[in-house]
Amino acid sequence: MPNPEVQHDVTRMLQANEPGGAMSQELLPLVYKELRQLAAARMAREMAGQTLQPTALVHEAWLRLQSNTSPAWRNRAHFFGAASEAMRRILIERARRKLRLKRGHRAEHVSIDTVDVAQTEPDERILLIDEALTRLNATDRELARIVTLKFFGGLTNAEVAETLEVTERTIYNKWTFAKAWLLKNIREERDSGS
Amino acid sequence: MSVGTDKEQLLFAAALPIADPGERETFLQTACAGDAGLRSRVTEMLAEHAQSERFFSECISSLAIDDADVSEAPELKNEKTVAGEMAGMRIDRYRLLRQLGEGGCGVVYLAEQEEPVRRRVAVKVIKLGMDTKSVIARFDAERQALAMMDHPNIAKVLDGGATESGRPYFVLELVQGVKITTFCDEEKLTASQRLELFIEVCHAIQHAHQKGVIHRDIKPSNILVTTHDGAPVPKVIDFGIAKAIEGRLMDDTNFTADGQVVGTPAYMSPEQAELSGLDVDTRSDIYSLGVLLYELLTGRTPFDQKELVQSGLDEMRRTLREKEPQRPSTMLTSLTNTDLAVAARHRQLEPPKLIKSLKGDLDWIVMKALEKERQRRYETANALAMDVRRYLNNEPVVARPPSQFYRLQKLIQRNKVVCACGLIVALTLLVGLEVSTSFFFKERQARMEAEQAHANEMLLQKKAKARETVTEAGVLLSHGAMAEADALAESIPVELLSPSRESSDVFRRLGLWNLLHRNWKQAANRYIVLLQVNQVDKNDRTDQATYDLLLAAPLMVEAGDLSDYDRMRRAALTRLGGTTSPGAAEQLIKTSLLLPADDALLKQLEPLERVVAGALKSHDPAVNDGSLLTAWRVFALALLEYRRGNFNAAVTRLDECSNYPKQSPACVAGTHLVLSMALRQVGRIEQADAELEEGRAMVQNQFQKKLESGNDKTGKIEGWIVTPILLHEADALANSAAWPSSESE
Repeated sequence: MPNPEVQHDVTRMLQANEPGGAMSQELLPLVYKELRQLAAARMAREMAGQTLQPTALVHEAWLRLQSNTSPAWRNRAHFFGAASEAMRRILIERARRKLRLKRGHRAEHVSIDTVDVAQTEPDERILLIDEALTRLNATDRELARIVTLKFFGGLTNAEVAETLEVTERTIYNKWTFAKAWLLKNIREERDSGS
Repeated sequence: MSVGTDKEQLLFAAALPIADPGERETFLQTACAGDAGLRSRVTEMLAEHAQSERFFSECISSLAIDDADVSEAPELKNEKTVAGEMAGMRIDRYRLLRQLGEGGCGVVYLAEQEEPVRRRVAVKVIKLGMDTKSVIARFDAERQALAMMDHPNIAKVLDGGATESGRPYFVLELVQGVKITTFCDEEKLTASQRLELFIEVCHAIQHAHQKGVIHRDIKPSNILVTTHDGAPVPKVIDFGIAKAIEGRLMDDTNFTADGQVVGTPAYMSPEQAELSGLDVDTRSDIYSLGVLLYELLTGRTPFDQKELVQSGLDEMRRTLREKEPQRPSTMLTSLTNTDLAVAARHRQLEPPKLIKSLKGDLDWIVMKALEKERQRRYETANALAMDVRRYLNNEPVVARPPSQFYRLQKLIQRNKVVCACGLIVALTLLVGLEVSTSFFFKERQARMEAEQAHANEMLLQKKAKARETVTEAGVLLSHGAMAEADALAESIPVELLSPSRESSDVFRRLGLWNLLHRNWKQAANRYIVLLQVNQVDKNDRTDQATYDLLLAAPLMVEAGDLSDYDRMRRAALTRLGGTTSPGAAEQLIKTSLLLPADDALLKQLEPLERVVAGALKSHDPAVNDGSLLTAWRVFALALLEYRRGNFNAAVTRLDECSNYPKQSPACVAGTHLVLSMALRQVGRIEQADAELEEGRAMVQNQFQKKLESGNDKTGKIEGWIVTPILLHEADALANSAAWPSSESE
């Protein structure tokens, strides 16, 4: 069962926000907490070594919160925005932790031997993508939002389209463009650092 | 960085489904309607598409969460903390206090070290995206050498490693100073004060070079000036870091889409530009020091950083490799009046005086350091510093081609200030100190040899040492201490010398000095070294390239190194035999035929013979003067005929020789001797004897006197040096012919 207190707070905050407006900074920690608790509960039921896809988590959180407070959940955009952002942070922490484990305290045992971006390991990629996303957000918030929803929130094009009230085709086009932009930006950034 | 306009995104989406590249190209051409920038941006994004799809889909499939993520994920932190290392954070033993600055490759923090000693340090955290493992490996390889550097003007690199998020970091001695150029301008230092600072920087670099460490990224922001008891102290920072992060400074990948380049091309040596930093040695640092000196004097770099970057990668490479920079004084005259006034005010001078102060010595010093070919630059940072010191002392600088007037001018200037004698004493002391320092370093060097891993650095270091010794010998030479210079030069292992103008100059002068003192063996040895270090340009087919052979070849014969001589003459023919210069051809023929030659060698001389014979037909007095030069050329052809066994042809040629007025007495003597041999071979014994005696008289007369370099009138030493060899051969022939065998007629 979701934490009733959190659920209450989330509802209150979602209602307080304008649809399509900027995500509330107060909302974020609550969704973050909710997602983590949800994941913990799921993990406890599953066998050890089991993994969960973020898409599944976000959707489950959404379904739980929605079913419990049905009239208040009209603003999907806010929920998905907050959930994706929270998910982003969880995943970033996770990538950092895994890299740290792999590399040890010092870098002598790092296994990244390749300089080519396309050859990097997934955990490092996530960090690289996140850094590029920060840069994208500085110039094109709309596009950055789509990336967060798609990549970290794991939403489908249809869900993002519904959330942002644009056509599915637009999301497809923008997401494709954003991916190309991000990879290009990662390359440029990485190369300029060498 | 712009994320692309709506139009760009639309075109991207529209072009993407067009599979055929030609069709896609046509579509973009039409759609962009002459907006080339838009078109290239869209094309670039399209090129990224296939890879980005794969990149992201691989990534998304790895985004699964497991129990560790849930149990270990921290509470939500401030966004900025999540993004990277920040003040307050701890890296290893270092607590970051605040950010000091941000550069192209990372962020520098003020940090506190808690153990083993509590002190403040600077921590440089390299950007994410570098290959941490190899950075650390390279840093570790260099650590030993870095640890050996101990110099008041070098900021130490204390430690290095990786942060928890996997970024490489370096811990540096904290230097709270300002960029050297800023310091000089703010303090309005005069040119001499700037030069004094610069000399200190050179000494720091020299120290590092002796430890086998090359900086690779010398620029004003890496030289900070602090004040200590009111006196400015420059500190060179970031030693070893450029190598560790393997500044692939000129790699294409360093160009970002909007033409930004990382690194400082204005300070980059041509070889760094050309070879992606692969073959970079200490002389690359000398170049960067030259740029620094240029900027300290004029306020500008030889090539404008902005222009370099905007010109694009290839053009930048070309500029650094080929374009001669303006002399510092010329650069100043090309500035606008306002800019010039600012530069002058910063140096406490009137604009015209500023320009005048750079003209001459300082121009030459800077340009020598900035030579495109590194063997033409100063050999060592010390040599550069010494030349700047000479300028400050009003002594002749090495960078300037010496002329009598210039030397006199310097002597007068010098005497205004200080008694010349005192100065010479001071200089002798300085040289003495330098020599004892060199012994000290020899010992250190022996210790370092134990480290196998540094074999490469070692060789580099020895070479630097050899270059330094050459410079010392050069200084001794310029003060007339010939014997000392000669002993010093002899001590240098030849294999450590690389071709350079400075080395060839020193060995040429020492060779001549030994020759004039009749130390044949030593003279020959100096010339053998000279031939090795003088292979500056294999394509040089002028008579300058062959000139040194004129003395080297006879000296080798004279010293009895006959097999060396034979090897040398064949090597010389192979390397230079393609010349089209009549002078070079003549010199090659003469120097190759000091001793009898086999058919193969004679065959190799045929093209040269054609070149010389062609010149003799010319009516151009510059090519065929009908006098001194013509006589030598006819002599060379006669010697060739003689060696071929065409004795009558030789006699004809040699008779022709005497027709030319004002020929060198050395040529006359040589003609007598070869003619004597040719005549004897065809049985004209009486005439042969007469020629021999005339030749002998001339040779003996010449070599009984004190040997001198000579001139056209008395005969130059390089002409005379051949004659004893020919006399010896002519005598031997006369003696064997005095008891003719039964076969002769």
